[in-house]
Amino acid sequence: MGGLISLIPLPYPDAVVALGALVLGVTAGVLGAFAVLPRRSLVGDALAHAALPGVCLAFILTGAKDPAALLAGAAVAGLVGAVLIILIERTSRIRPDAAIGVVLSVFFSLGIVLLTAISHSGNAQQAGLERYLFGQAAGLVERDVVVMGLVGAAGLSLVLVLLRPLRAAMFDREFAGSIGLPVRALELATTVLLVAAIVIGLRMVGAILMVAMLVVPAVAARQLTGRLGPLLLVAAGVGALVGVSGALLSARAEAPTGPVVVLVGVLLVVALLLLAPGRGVLWGWARRRRERRRESATALLVDIESLMHAGPPPTLEQVALASARPRPHLRRALRDLDRAGLVAHDGERLRLTESGAAAAHAALERRRLWSAWLEHGWQIGVPGAVEPDPRDLRGSLGDQAADRLERLAREAAA
Amino acid sequence: MNDDLTIIVTAGLVATACGLLGPFLVLRRVALMGDAVSHAVLPGIVAVYLLLDTRAPLPVVVGAAAFAVVCVLAIDALRGTGLVASDAAIGLVFPALFAIGVLGIDRYADSVHLDLDSTIYGEIAFVPFRTLDVLGVEVAQAVVVLGAVTLVNLVLVAVFWKPLKATSFDPEFSRTVGISPVLVSRLLLVAVAVTAVAAFEAVGAILVVTLIIVPAATAYLLTDRLWMMVAVAVGVGWLGAVLGYGGALRADASIAGAMGLVCAVCFVVAFLCSPRHGLLARAVRRSRRRRALARAIEESATA
Repeated sequence: MGGLISLIPLPYPDAVVALGALVLGVTAGVLGAFAVLPRRSLVGDALAHAALPGVCLAFILTGAKDPAALLAGAAVAGLVGAVLIILIERTSRIRPDAAIGVVLSVFFSLGIVLLTAISHSGNAQQAGLERYLFGQAAGLVERDVVVMGLVGAAGLSLVLVLLRPLRAAMFDREFAGSIGLPVRALELATTVLLVAAIVIGLRMVGAILMVAMLVVPAVAARQLTGRLGPLLLVAAGVGALVGVSGALLSARAEAPTGPVVVLVGVLLVVALLLLAPGRGVLWGWARRRRERRRESATALLVDIESLMHAGPPPTLEQVALASARPRPHLRRALRDLDRAGLVAHDGERLRLTESGAAAAHAALERRRLWSAWLEHGWQIGVPGAVEPDPRDLRGSLGDQAADRLERLAREAAA
Repeated sequence: MNDDLTIIVTAGLVATACGLLGPFLVLRRVALMGDAVSHAVLPGIVAVYLLLDTRAPLPVVVGAAAFAVVCVLAIDALRGTGLVASDAAIGLVFPALFAIGVLGIDRYADSVHLDLDSTIYGEIAFVPFRTLDVLGVEVAQAVVVLGAVTLVNLVLVAVFWKPLKATSFDPEFSRTVGISPVLVSRLLLVAVAVTAVAAFEAVGAILVVTLIIVPAATAYLLTDRLWMMVAVAVGVGWLGAVLGYGGALRADASIAGAMGLVCAVCFVVAFLCSPRHGLLARAVRRSRRRRALARAIEESATA
């Protein structure tokens, strides 16, 4: 350990903090996924509060502020709290968030009742007991880093060996049970590791940072992948990245480590929520914009086509009057059509080119098919609850079904 | 009003204000909003101290309320992207706000003692000592403030009953009938934020967090009707206030803690004995079904 720290080109205290943040980040990243994905993200918060009665009981039993005993009390109370959360959630209609909230508030209430009992006992040692577990980024101790590293290693090896069973147990309990997996044992194993990581993390960095360190990596990784294996890897990476960069940044800015790590992590998540490829908010905006423009251009194409049927090629002004759409939209749609070579200009008048006419017919065809689907869709017996894509009905239903729809529409018209 | 009654009424008002909102939070899977707010108000307190150089209750509460609103709206916005589950959104927003507060203290206010416990988190035992003169009668300040908050919540829930109900159970349906789930959700969350901050100042964070979640969860186990759920939640809260205070006096324990534990007992009783959703009722139903199945198998074997 000492050798490892001396390898890092930083002053000794900073090196311990950086290494600690790395270990914490990886461990919390991997184990946090097992809290975030089943929608128990705030289990860290609950266990931070649940630790209080454990610490109090340990103090009452031992009569002294022995760190090991208090930590053991916190761990036992945390485990009881975590098991109760799962129990409440599994055996009643209470959902994870409320189960976590109930355990959090009940344990903390118990804790403050025990605290008053202890303060009445007159034991002079009791001062600051409630602060014991809520240090905000208390000084990192090497031993804590080692223990956290062991918990992290256990978590990683569990995940490596048992990825498939864990995945089955997490996403489909009934299935996992039916193929003979020990669902409860798996859940207990991940819960024990999670509790261990949280309790040690509480002492290392405080409750609030621990909450964030469990949530940030899993949420960030979820934006980048939808598969559990890669997600766990990415989460570990994100945890390491956030931990180390936060620690280095805070050392440079001479600010407390915990808050800086939290802010770095949350900013990273926000950036990913905006920009994650194919999924981020900005991607969604761009996609919807593109689709609106395409729809608008197609609508103009169809308008020109139908006006050409009714009389001489129309001007844009006539299209605007006929379609009652705002002129700026129409002008932009016309530019799009021009660029695609679907429209030709006769002075002011607009004419469809050959490819433009074909595109207009195809669009009209799609519209007819969609009306046929709305009217006769129930008759063609599509397997399962298919929700077809309105932009490409033929593609999503298949040619056979689309042909049947057209036949039904023709028969109904005749 | 004597001191005992003042404390019970204060706790009862908190129980009513929280019981009116808690069921909607539990139904919307954001039960922990109160806890999130309890941490997220720190930067508001720090900002007030830095800008106005004061720790007087009123500006501090206003600053805290501002950040409580920021917190709930940020959580709602994250949730609204559809990319983050609501529990994870809570777990991202309040640590970030808390972290900003801690950094602010570290940078600018390190020399003064500025933390949540000393500035905003009240202790319910001290409620009778701060009084106001209302029409010649001396009334505890907390009773006045919390009475007003409770009244506002009551009006809010009564006026927006249908939108709240519709958006809690079926946001898609409410959209089609012209109720915006986004607006209703924001309204509810802002009410939670303001209620929580006002109540923190009087009775402390943990009692507020408890009274939002535990009575509502208890009610959710006992009934399938929304108005009944709200009524039961308020009732359980009052039970906690009255019995909890009695217990705390007898055992000489923390009042807030004892009230929380009475609510916990209510939850456990409902969890075990609820006629429809309790553990025992479920077990009875299951064993009955199992016996019926065994009988059916036996009959088909003999037939």
